[in-house]
Amino acid sequence: MNPNDIARSVLRWLIYVLLHLFVARHLVLFNYSFCFIYVGAILFLPVEINLTALLFIGFVTGVTIDSFDNTLGLHAVATVLIAYLRPIIIRYQLGQKLTEGRLQLSIRELGLPAFLSYVILLISIHHIVLFLVEAGSISLLPYTFLKIMCSVLFTTVSVLLAQLLSR
Amino acid sequence: MLQLFEFIGRNRNFILFGLLEVFSFWLLVNNNNYWSVEYFNTANSLNAKSLEISNSVREYINLRDVNTSLAEENRRLNELITTLQQQKPSNAPAGYQPDSAFATRYKFVTIAKVIDNSTHRADNYLTIDKGYADGVKEGMGVISSTGVVGKVKICKENFSVITSILHSQFMVSTKLLRSGEMGTAKWENSNIPSIIQLKDVSRYKTIVKGDTAVTSDQNAVFPPGITVGRVKTFKVAADQAFFEIDLELATDFSKISYVYLVENKLLNQQQSLQESLLNKPK
Repeated sequence: MNPNDIARSVLRWLIYVLLHLFVARHLVLFNYSFCFIYVGAILFLPVEINLTALLFIGFVTGVTIDSFDNTLGLHAVATVLIAYLRPIIIRYQLGQKLTEGRLQLSIRELGLPAFLSYVILLISIHHIVLFLVEAGSISLLPYTFLKIMCSVLFTTVSVLLAQLLSR
Repeated sequence: MLQLFEFIGRNRNFILFGLLEVFSFWLLVNNNNYWSVEYFNTANSLNAKSLEISNSVREYINLRDVNTSLAEENRRLNELITTLQQQKPSNAPAGYQPDSAFATRYKFVTIAKVIDNSTHRADNYLTIDKGYADGVKEGMGVISSTGVVGKVKICKENFSVITSILHSQFMVSTKLLRSGEMGTAKWENSNIPSIIQLKDVSRYKTIVKGDTAVTSDQNAVFPPGITVGRVKTFKVAADQAFFEIDLELATDFSKISYVYLVENKLLNQQQSLQESLLNKPK
């Protein structure tokens, strides 16, 4: 990784977080669909990043989002979890491609099917944890699951759009 | 001991993960903890500042909605003021007790947006984006936040045409606030859209420059006390019994955007009564 790559990764992280804080946070479709586009900030970090660093980045990202939502800890829980699971899922799903050489986590390098399976899996984990922890009980389970499904769809589409629009 | 350190070294990331998760949960469960109260909330100056900036940007986008809701609030307040004024007229003698139907006869029906507007013809009209689907009826009075605008002339399902006060045939019964004189405001000098003439005020009364002209109590269309304009100039021609007063209109017709539609619920009753008197053989 040369400094150029690092600068680009930092910039990408920043853009996803700012996009969430100032735009996506206010988007709610039909009272069920929420957009947590900041997940992309974790998803598209370089593959070769150190797991320790990844965990810390995840924690910082979560706390940043939390501090704007006044829900300190909530996003941090979900984000640290996907940061920990990310390398495992990459090894499991993209192991083949990983052995072929340096891999960049983008829609152009992976192709749509591999990209979608990677993105949707992690986003689903994130959203399930997030909404279940937020609900704090299982009394409104059908409602919560509807919210989770709609939000997974919404976040996936917005992450996809962000990928298509970025270079 | 060595094995313990080796174990920690091998699983350091899992341990870190566990610690971070536990710490996050702890933060979440004690949501009144020192960290969340002191630093990580939206009242913290950095967060608040950035939210303020983003909010100021979004304010422009919401301006349309804000305008609409403010116009709606104004409609409600105007209706309330008119009703209260009618229940206790300031110039009435002590014993006067208005009929409740009479006091509440003015209803502010709806708010409309002006979508077309002319000011420079001899007879000017406005078009608004509300029609009978929204309760607008022909003959309703139209006022704006600044003053009198006109009267509904044609009413379609979703649009209406308003006869502007800048119309050669339109007359408004007007009262001068300070001198208490009544007259009729009519737009005769058909080329200045900011000046209207006030007629029928006797030359033997005192008129003050700058006096406010409002709709009088004898109006059937407009509630009393709606601003028409202010006295700009006045003079008396040599052989005339009346003043020639120029009023500066309170409403700037070139900038008008939202108007209120006012219905006098007792208008039909009043008119038919007056007409029956006219038609009666003497």
